[in-house]
Amino acid sequence: MLTPPPEENTAIPPSSDPNNGSPSFNLVSTYKNILSTDLLITKPIAAIESLISLLSASPPSTISETLSLLESATSELKDSVPNSIALSAGTDLFQRYLISTLQQGSAQSAKSKGKRSSSGGDGDFRAIRAHLLANGRLFAQRANESRGQIAKVARKFVRDGCTVLTCGRSRVVAAVLGAAAEDGAKFRVVYAQDSNDGLSKNSADIVTELWRKDIPVATITFAALAASLPYVTFALVGAESVVENGGIVSGMGTNQMGLLAKSVGKPFYVVAESHKFVRVHPLSGDDLPLGQKVLDFSTQSREEEKEHEEGKRKAGDEVVDFTPPNLITAIVTESGVQTPSAVSEELIKIWF
Amino acid sequence: MAPSESAQDDTMPSEKDRLDKKVTNGEQKVASMAEHIPGTNGTGEAAKGSEQGQKLADVPKEKELSGKEKKELAKAQKIAKRAAEKQKQQGQPAVDLVAGNKGELPKDSGKKGPLGPATPAKTQHKKTGSTSAGAQSSLPHRQALSHAAPAAAEPGKENKNVALFDHLYGHPRRTTVAGAGKDVHPAVLALGIQMRNYIVCGSSARCVAMLLVFKRVIESYTTPPRNSLPRHLTILLSSQIDYLVSCRPISISMGNAIRWLKVEISNVDVSTPESQAKSDLCDLIDTYVREKVTVADQVIANKANDKIEDGDVIMTFAKSSIVQQTLVEAFRRGKRFRVIVVDSRPLLEGKNLARALADLGLEVQYSLTHGISHVIRDTTKVFLGAHAMMSTGLYSRVGTALVAMSAKEANVPVIVCCESVKLTERVALDSFVHNEVAPAEELIIQGKPSSPLSKWVDVPNLQLLNLMYDLTPAEYINMVVTEYGIIPPSSVPVIIRLSTNT
Repeated sequence: MLTPPPEENTAIPPSSDPNNGSPSFNLVSTYKNILSTDLLITKPIAAIESLISLLSASPPSTISETLSLLESATSELKDSVPNSIALSAGTDLFQRYLISTLQQGSAQSAKSKGKRSSSGGDGDFRAIRAHLLANGRLFAQRANESRGQIAKVARKFVRDGCTVLTCGRSRVVAAVLGAAAEDGAKFRVVYAQDSNDGLSKNSADIVTELWRKDIPVATITFAALAASLPYVTFALVGAESVVENGGIVSGMGTNQMGLLAKSVGKPFYVVAESHKFVRVHPLSGDDLPLGQKVLDFSTQSREEEKEHEEGKRKAGDEVVDFTPPNLITAIVTESGVQTPSAVSEELIKIWF
Repeated sequence: MAPSESAQDDTMPSEKDRLDKKVTNGEQKVASMAEHIPGTNGTGEAAKGSEQGQKLADVPKEKELSGKEKKELAKAQKIAKRAAEKQKQQGQPAVDLVAGNKGELPKDSGKKGPLGPATPAKTQHKKTGSTSAGAQSSLPHRQALSHAAPAAAEPGKENKNVALFDHLYGHPRRTTVAGAGKDVHPAVLALGIQMRNYIVCGSSARCVAMLLVFKRVIESYTTPPRNSLPRHLTILLSSQIDYLVSCRPISISMGNAIRWLKVEISNVDVSTPESQAKSDLCDLIDTYVREKVTVADQVIANKANDKIEDGDVIMTFAKSSIVQQTLVEAFRRGKRFRVIVVDSRPLLEGKNLARALADLGLEVQYSLTHGISHVIRDTTKVFLGAHAMMSTGLYSRVGTALVAMSAKEANVPVIVCCESVKLTERVALDSFVHNEVAPAEELIIQGKPSSPLSKWVDVPNLQLLNLMYDLTPAEYINMVVTEYGIIPPSSVPVIIRLSTNT
């Protein structure tokens, strides 16, 4: 299940290569392609994979050339989407990984064959690069596998007789609930969504999946959230990215759910792979470069115009909001259950 | 080992005496055990005396072998001497101190006789210090002390210390250089007085000033014959530090810097020529100041600037050099924002900040703390400086907690700017246990004879409290900007590990 995406990626560059010549490889389209072809892949992973394909498509060069190529490619990728936070988690991680591997490699080579001059170093770099490409794939694969590990950890939260409140279309939440259902846990799910007229296309997957496993699901609108909270044991949500203070960027409505859960003292758990941790420290939701307009003021005369714009926006990215760390009870990652404040520690570990 | 261990204890005013205690730790433990165990058992005086004598007699026998302990002994003697000296020239403070405990002291001393009760650390360290110096001389010395106690508690004189903070008073600050140890460097003498009078004020400024002065101490240093630089210089430095502490308790950042410097000195290879070792140490100090303060400040100012946007109204409390630098940097970048400086008596440090920013051309509003609930409504962000930052909260100029709590109430984010040298692993949950009490006279408005407080000493039942710091719990702080990055308060220990290991 995990091997196809890389295969596909390597297949894409040659097709775009003849058009632009070998040095210009279309990173943005590769990224979008990866996201659309494999629904299981998250944005950070897609970003990492597209960067790896970029590296394999570009001819081997020096270390600094490679790094500057990555840097420019990263900023190009970030500019291409309105909300680059999730994606930057992946690109930052990869860059960091690359630099530390290169440092290690060069330190080793310096130790082992200290007196050899540039020619030897060049050969080493090639070896490092090949190693990197091979390991980079492995890295992406491992990141994908972490979802299963989270399901294993978080499954313990879903006990017999509990009612789980969730929203959005998180793949991790689906994995957790699926794992619990397969284990034979008897629980119910309350699923909050935007509108009540049937299941929206995004949410359908998770709900039908649960129905298929004989799990009772009640779908409610966000307006009914407060009214349904007394019947709920805890809330379980996924995240697009986890920021440094432990807050999460997630589908619109998550913050509201967190606030309400807090007000009635229900636990609010977040499940997210640790590759979604990103080195951004916002003061509040409006301090994030989300590239979206939550409020769009208008008068009647502008109303028609606005509707037109809205139609255009629907084609693009989904809207997100920011849930501050004080609303979050715990974050479950593949390495275990953590408090929101542990996120910064994890990030510092990666960066220093 | 020994120097770094003692350096750890320099950090805080109230721990100064613990430092003295720790230095003499080896023998002291034995001595104090001998002192306490029979006392609590209620055995007779004679038994106590003989047992103690035995224990103390044992001590030197054990000691003689290890060089490290010899060093400790020498240090202990020195401290004992200094303590005795101090007592000679300021009999008053020692008396005051005991007077603080007048409730329990007379009773205890009556019961236990000349050996004295388990008195608070301050008096104890003097006793035990001299005990370790030599059991013979210590006994009369102690007697004198416990006799002095009832005299101090004489009914005519009222205790003007606030009872809740009694443990913080310690010695009154030194006012002159008279009576300072003979090995205290003139530059250190001057700096001590400057710190005492708030001419050099602020955690980083004091830390830098201290390091620069220590550089001069090192420059003018020559190792005495039959001594080694790492060993002797550490001791010399300790006496400089003791003098500085007697002028004003040292800050956390100074403590961190001292700890670092002592480790560096003890790392000096004994075979290095003295001139080389000295210039190496001076270079290290320069690098430390550059990396930990100068460059760190620039990095922090840049990072904190990401959080300043056009149209912001930024509140700050008192004066922090790093906050000032951040605001100046934002102004230089052409951001359009307004500053509200909240200030409080008696130091009114915010005036200088307000003036400096206004001179630049920034729009500045100046208010005292009583106006805070009003001005917080306009505020969009609060920037605070730090005296020290702990994982449990921010330790800063008294009044800071009020600002942070008002900000939380108004849902305004609170940002702390702080160099990693100010981070500490110490944990404080309130402002009572660790704090600094400044002279109460500072609260009286100077040059105004009609001030109602001018004769406060004579007013019965009136006590003045002039605290220097308070603790803002971590829950009121949104982020801490350090040179390592922007972190939540809970990650302070991680940064400490990072900044001290590399």
